[in-house]
Amino acid sequence: MSSLSSSLRLFSPKLRQTFPKSPFLPSKPFFFSSPISFQRLPRSPLSEPLRAQQQHQRQQREAEVDLSVLPPRLQEIIALFQTVAEPKAKYQQLLHYGAQLPPLDPRFKTDDHRVRGCVSQVWVRAFRDADDHAAVRFEADSDSALTKGLAALLVFGLSGYPATVVASVPPGFVHLLGLQQSLTPSRNNGFLNMLKLMQQKALQFYSEVGDSEINGVSESKGSNSGAKDGVLDDKNTILGEKTDKTGKDSIFGEVSSANWSGDSLPFGDLMVDGHGMNSADGVQKSSNGGIGGRRERIRQRLERELSPVELEVEDISYQHAGHAGVRGNGDGETHFNLRVVSKEFEGKSLVKRHRLVYDLLQEELQSGLHALSIDAKTPSEA
Amino acid sequence: MMASFCHFPASPPHQSLSKLLSPLRRPRPHPFLPNVLCIFNPNRNRIRAGSQFRRLSLSSSSIALPPEELDSSSLGDLTRPDFPILHQEVNGFNLVYLDNAATSQKPTAVLKALNKYYESYNSNVHRAIHSLSAEATDEYEQARTKVAAFINASKPKEIVFTRNATEAINLVAYSWGLSNLRSGDEILLTIAEHHSAIVPWQLVAQKTGASLKFVGLTKEEVPDIEQLKELLSVKTKIVVIHHVSNVLGSALPIEDVVAWSHSVGAKVLVDACQSIPHMVVDVQKLDPDFLVASSHKMCGPTGVGFLYGKSELLSAMPPFLGGGEMIADVFQDYSTFAEPPSRFEAGTPAIGEAIGLGAAIDYLMGIGMQRIHDYEKELANYLYLSLLAIPNVRIYGPAPSETVHRASLCSFNVENIHPTDIATILDKQHGVAIRSGHHCAQPLHRSLGISASARASLYFYNNKKEIDVFIRALKDTIDFFISFQ
Repeated sequence: MSSLSSSLRLFSPKLRQTFPKSPFLPSKPFFFSSPISFQRLPRSPLSEPLRAQQQHQRQQREAEVDLSVLPPRLQEIIALFQTVAEPKAKYQQLLHYGAQLPPLDPRFKTDDHRVRGCVSQVWVRAFRDADDHAAVRFEADSDSALTKGLAALLVFGLSGYPATVVASVPPGFVHLLGLQQSLTPSRNNGFLNMLKLMQQKALQFYSEVGDSEINGVSESKGSNSGAKDGVLDDKNTILGEKTDKTGKDSIFGEVSSANWSGDSLPFGDLMVDGHGMNSADGVQKSSNGGIGGRRERIRQRLERELSPVELEVEDISYQHAGHAGVRGNGDGETHFNLRVVSKEFEGKSLVKRHRLVYDLLQEELQSGLHALSIDAKTPSEA
Repeated sequence: MMASFCHFPASPPHQSLSKLLSPLRRPRPHPFLPNVLCIFNPNRNRIRAGSQFRRLSLSSSSIALPPEELDSSSLGDLTRPDFPILHQEVNGFNLVYLDNAATSQKPTAVLKALNKYYESYNSNVHRAIHSLSAEATDEYEQARTKVAAFINASKPKEIVFTRNATEAINLVAYSWGLSNLRSGDEILLTIAEHHSAIVPWQLVAQKTGASLKFVGLTKEEVPDIEQLKELLSVKTKIVVIHHVSNVLGSALPIEDVVAWSHSVGAKVLVDACQSIPHMVVDVQKLDPDFLVASSHKMCGPTGVGFLYGKSELLSAMPPFLGGGEMIADVFQDYSTFAEPPSRFEAGTPAIGEAIGLGAAIDYLMGIGMQRIHDYEKELANYLYLSLLAIPNVRIYGPAPSETVHRASLCSFNVENIHPTDIATILDKQHGVAIRSGHHCAQPLHRSLGISASARASLYFYNNKKEIDVFIRALKDTIDFFISFQ
């Protein structure tokens, strides 16, 4: 009996290896509401199921993506790819997606819509959903079939959701597709650059909504020069007003700490090198450059510039430890609560007050500070 | 003897057999490759037995050795064992490495030389008195001598070690160019130049007011030599030209170009990156003023390359980078400089890597550059014809002929399929490594009317079997994409 149990014990680890665990499938049932039908493709003689499963597990272990921040349709697509083990079949599925993508109107094939860092030509377009003004929709095209497939994944997975949701999608989700191992690094960079461009364009729309609601100003027509102010505004709106802190903060931190040069592609270095993935890591790595004392620096800066009557700076990074935006910055200092009471805020709208604070803390934002929750009042309001 | 061949099992031919029976066009002993000696010793009995065996194999069905296998790829099969990196699997398939124009693989001899340097005598060169430094300096300078001998330069001091060919071109542009070019001067290039040969001259032209002129392609897709002759004038100060094109596979008549250029008083800088690894290059015969190449394309390590410059030219050139080694005396507000080549070798050089390059040159000389060139000519034709046979494949550059010899590379496109898609599936589904993109030749691609191309490039350790694998894989890949269109 004991020998049997010991031999069972001997066997069980192996068994665990051969059957893939799927902890990342969404727990609630989902519906295949996407327009793409998935057909089981005949197994190719080149398939190596065991090897594919092992690689599958490796990716799952590597990917620490919080599925809950991903829009449901994207989760479906991810699940779909996870049920396909063979790389060749994954590619066929990818090509299927690409074939579903309607061609982009040639007038949108401009530099403004071009994704940099791609070996092939890729264009991405974002526009407001006709039925739901808070939601953004996408169109994309590419002269490379595989890249078009990747673009299709993003278009189908992200269209129809609010810009905040789109902007919160962490690039790391691509690991979950299991395509990463099957794609060359340069293609992955293209994928990430596509995602970032889509996120940036989504935020442009969101900021226009924010502007018109808060300032009563007519919407700007998606001009890129408006992007710089617009995004900071919307960031303030989201982070200043909402009290629930979710993983979305970290993405905005990344977005705002990138170089806003006012042209269509703020991620300048990303595009030129084509190393989208490395740069994403780079943002996280650079946050390690904060030597500590950020709280002090924030205090000093705000005290010097705003001469506040009241000032509270609270480091709440521990509340965010462990999620994608914080990873790589183990010593905290990524998320702060600010309460500032100052005469400098008089006559300024809420949005302008937040923008003032953000402008003062630009350096911090670019060196690892991910998000601020700002309570900005004048002495008479406090 | 013959009887034993009859009993040979009908299994796929393994290398020793094909080596044994390959017909020897130029049988001669190779002292540098001892393991080869026994096979290449002309042995009349063996040859006779071989040819008889071939006749046997044609008639007998039990021994499945197609005749082509016997005389194909002898150099490739022979040298393959020297390259450990080639014996691996990628994505579950045997690696077929066909991206040699981007970088070459290194034989164990070079790896050993690098290791030996760091293990036994790593020390800074030209600076110290102690034994280790003396040995390092000796080896480093010996590497310089080897490079000089490799290209038949008359003096080792005409060789300047740089980081790579790109840095060498920048050296000439900034040092020679800035002090010799002025407004109204012309720099003549071809549209097929590598970015490293174009961009430094653009930067220098901006600073000096000189201008760039480009020679276009003929309809055979070769740089137009007649147009080059027409564009040469007294205003031309330097001609920057490639020897072998990394995209078109064409070779230019450098001797003639140099003669014409010199007759109008223009200097010539030859980009020999794609020629030096594959053929005999003799700077005394070609007579360029400058010539550049990179170590990593010729079986040497990355991080080192060289500039060849005529000594009277180098002596007249101001420094490029400033620092240690290139100085004579340093005062507070000025310094005096060393003679070339030291004048252009600021700072601690890539010592181990230069020594590694020397070892690579030894290895290549051991095979013989002419032998490499002849073998690659076979590969080049085989690759070109195999590709040509695939429908909807468009190859760039000239067609090979009696007078036109192509390098062993093909840049191509498949109708309606993006080259990146081709390269991706070739890699992931077949383990075949090719390149896709503009190959650092955007002006060339623009003039061909394309945004990107795929490129397969071979070196002497590839063989026809690998070309066959590539062709089969390419056909499979094309089918994969066509089925979705």
